[in-house]
Amino acid sequence: MTTQRKSDDRIALLQGTLDLLILKTLVFKPCHGQGIARSILRHSEEVLFVDHGSLYVALQRLEDRKWISAKWGISENNRKARFYCLTAKGRAQLVEKSSEWRRLTRAMGLILEAGEGPQGEEA
Amino acid sequence: MFWRKRNAEDFAEEIKAHLELETEDLRNEGLSPEEAQWRAKRAFGNVRAVQEQFYLRGRWQWLDRIARDLRIGFRSLRQSPGFALTAVLTLAFGVGANTAVFSVMNAVLLRSLPVADPSRVVYLRPSNPPRNTGTIASEETISYPVYAELHREVRAMQSVMAYVPLATGKVAVRFGAVPEEAEGEMVSGQFFSGLGVGMAVGHGFSEPDETNHAPLAVLSYKYWTRRFERDPSVAGKTLYVNSVPMTIIGVAAKGFEGVETGQSADFWIPLQNRPELNAYANPPDDGKLYIANPKWWCLRLIGRLAPGVSKEQALAQLQPVFQAAAYTGLGNPQQGEKLPVLRLVDAKSFPGYESSYGTPIRVLMMMVSLVLIIALSNVAMLLLARNAARKREFAVRLALGATRAILLRQLLIESLLLVTGGGALAWVFAVFASRTLGLWARIETSLAPDRTVLLFTLGLLILAVIVFGLAPLRIALAAGVTPAIKTSQATAHADAGQSRTGRIVVVMQMMFCVVLLVGAGLLIRTLRNLEQTPLGMDVNGLVVFGIKPNTQALAETNAFYRELLAKLRVLAGVQDATIMQERLGSGWSANNNMKVDGRLSEVANGESRTVRSNVVGPDFFHTLGVPVLMGRDFTSSDTSNSPHVGIVNETFVKRFLHGQHPLGHRIGPASINWDMEIVGVVKDHKYRSIDEDPIPMAWYMYAQIPVLGEMQVELRVHGNPLEIVPTAAKVVAEMDPNLPLIQPMTQRAQFDTTIAQPMLFARLAGFFGLLAVLLVATGLYGVLSYRVNMRTAEIGVRMAVGARRAQVVWMIVKDSLALTAVGVFTGAPLAMLIGQALKRSLYGVKALDAMSYLIAVLGVGAIALLASAMPAARAASVDPLKALRVE
Repeated sequence: MTTQRKSDDRIALLQGTLDLLILKTLVFKPCHGQGIARSILRHSEEVLFVDHGSLYVALQRLEDRKWISAKWGISENNRKARFYCLTAKGRAQLVEKSSEWRRLTRAMGLILEAGEGPQGEEA
Repeated sequence: MFWRKRNAEDFAEEIKAHLELETEDLRNEGLSPEEAQWRAKRAFGNVRAVQEQFYLRGRWQWLDRIARDLRIGFRSLRQSPGFALTAVLTLAFGVGANTAVFSVMNAVLLRSLPVADPSRVVYLRPSNPPRNTGTIASEETISYPVYAELHREVRAMQSVMAYVPLATGKVAVRFGAVPEEAEGEMVSGQFFSGLGVGMAVGHGFSEPDETNHAPLAVLSYKYWTRRFERDPSVAGKTLYVNSVPMTIIGVAAKGFEGVETGQSADFWIPLQNRPELNAYANPPDDGKLYIANPKWWCLRLIGRLAPGVSKEQALAQLQPVFQAAAYTGLGNPQQGEKLPVLRLVDAKSFPGYESSYGTPIRVLMMMVSLVLIIALSNVAMLLLARNAARKREFAVRLALGATRAILLRQLLIESLLLVTGGGALAWVFAVFASRTLGLWARIETSLAPDRTVLLFTLGLLILAVIVFGLAPLRIALAAGVTPAIKTSQATAHADAGQSRTGRIVVVMQMMFCVVLLVGAGLLIRTLRNLEQTPLGMDVNGLVVFGIKPNTQALAETNAFYRELLAKLRVLAGVQDATIMQERLGSGWSANNNMKVDGRLSEVANGESRTVRSNVVGPDFFHTLGVPVLMGRDFTSSDTSNSPHVGIVNETFVKRFLHGQHPLGHRIGPASINWDMEIVGVVKDHKYRSIDEDPIPMAWYMYAQIPVLGEMQVELRVHGNPLEIVPTAAKVVAEMDPNLPLIQPMTQRAQFDTTIAQPMLFARLAGFFGLLAVLLVATGLYGVLSYRVNMRTAEIGVRMAVGARRAQVVWMIVKDSLALTAVGVFTGAPLAMLIGQALKRSLYGVKALDAMSYLIAVLGVGAIALLASAMPAARAASVDPLKALRVE
């Protein structure tokens, strides 16, 4: 079995961040699964790659939690697709999750920048 | 969302749509169709896995897993049916016995009276009643005048109610043509309303019904069911009570049968004021009925506290009223006389049950809890042994990818299955057992398990689950892949810690078994003593029944009995016939101090002066078969015109006559001026009960005393004593069609009622002792044979290097005998504690009865030997080569 090597500049998603990305993507307009995957890839300048299978499991999870709702429709290129849109509950979650994320990244940033000094010597 | 859960097809559809969209996008980016399709699929990953995740999401997964675990549990239990059956049965017995005894305890000692808000209801009890008063029970009963005063004066009580039975047993009633007997009570007008007892049919009494002595009756639900098949039209019909017509106006709510022990009233009537319906069916005393007699304290009182009034406040208000009223009509208290005191006793449960059943039930409860501990530890040991034997299975399962959590969960589910099975069986067993118990013990209150009992049982089962949960927990935590698979059978099980636990449990079981056996032994010896106690008379062939003639004048009553005896004596099969006032073996007796030759005689070192007396008919002792030691029996020629004659027993002579020749002395009750000449001395014999000690007794001739009412007829007959009853009933009916035979039974059965409770107690204790022995034996057998199994290889080695069979057997037996010795030595002191607790329930046996201890020790030893002999024999027959080849 050959394992698939990912492009070096792509980053696998951290646990829990996928939910946030999905919610954020759906803020602008309802979208189907494949569109969400593409959108995440495009908006992250091709850095964040979402495993499509995991994406659908995550979508289902969010739907079960009633953060998003779904119905079947027709895509821009005239194909059948299941469209997801954000619910009020999901919108509230998005606000909460993004502020959480910002605090996390700020804290990470502080630590990583402070820790760069001693390591720089060796490089 | 309103639609049902999304199905898997819809999800698959979405995946398909995704792949198509992605492929199209990739093609638009310039890839070939094949390349695009492949890339889309690769980006998606494992479709199956995603679909599986979709299927497993949410709680369904849980149910699914539990269903699977249940299947596995069932399968694994089915593989060892012997174990499963033993465990379930052990649990069923342990928990069932506890539930049964607890439901009796709950009904008898814990359950409240079936009245509204029982916490506000109290019994009003006197102590120290004034001199010269006669009581039914000196700490319980109060006279009518005192009741009337309390009822009228006290505002701290919302209501004060009095009640009194119409007879010590049953009274004659008639509904339609045939006379019957039933238990009836006279009660205050507020009895039902004050207690808050509802009516199933009609209505209860009112205050004016009491003052007017209205001829009304309320039936109990039980009597209504038994006698009237719950016919609602019974209201308005007439019930004749001692030939007095009473109109039935209602049926009390289901479950209410009065507020006293042992008397489950069939009907109630308002307090009456007529000689036919005097309290306790007594003839008027000095021409006075209970209602006008301040000397006869015969009513029991119950009351409800007024809202917002505490017990203390109520008592403060009641006490002076009571103390003043107590002396109305009795003259002033003598100097230095202690005043009577009123107490308020919580009506938490049935009065009297505590004193008559309290100790036995608590001891039984303790016994069954020991049985439960033995049962639980048995099953836990079985589980431990079984799981230890499965160590290799667990190791293999772990190696194949099961997690410890999964292993633990499955073991817990096995335990849960056992507990569920055992619990269900236990409940069935308990319902059946408590019903039987109630029947045997003649407990008339309902013993049906209620919510408290259910909670208790569930508590026990939860305890069982926890105990059995701990057993597998240990295995699951200890289980590892490599050691168990690698190590040999011989060493894999030589877990020192576990065998130590096993030994401790076995010792504990032995200990409890000794305690139970000693308890059972003491009680069974008590039972045998009671059964074999000589009564001092020949009870075989005696039959007894009560008669309450509807006669007014003394001469008329006398004539009635004379005629009755004459008619009964000539019946075919009747050898002898006589009458008596207090029925032998009923627990009742008339007691008072007696003067000898005009004064109370000296008694040695503080012995009691109380004499138990009875009023009897001619040929009394001859009929009973009691030997007359001196002088003569009563005869028909002792009449109201002839000199007063009396007969006493040996103990009377010994205590009061101090060696003088007894015949010719004059004796009589201390309180009144009436005496009689001793004309005979009879051998001591039993009067009230089988377990009474000899006490001075005296007998009056019925034809010579000033009051006469209900009497008990005693017949000595050939053949089956009860066969005479219909003929006797016919004779009585010829004299007065209104008279039933009251409680006809053989004299033997009547005496047996006095030891019914200790007999039941002993039988139960014996049963639980046996159950414990059985459980301990199975447990011990299981543990020992398990340990021998574990040592098969070791034994093989020993035999291979030259150990003889006898040595191997001794090695095994020695082990269990050592455990037994420790168990016996720790159990004996505990058993002594039980013996002390039982002291009051023993008869003719000392609490430190050597025989009972010896039997218990031998019993436990025998079990230990038996339970280890079989595994030992098996061990000895091990073929050394085979044993070693197991590796």
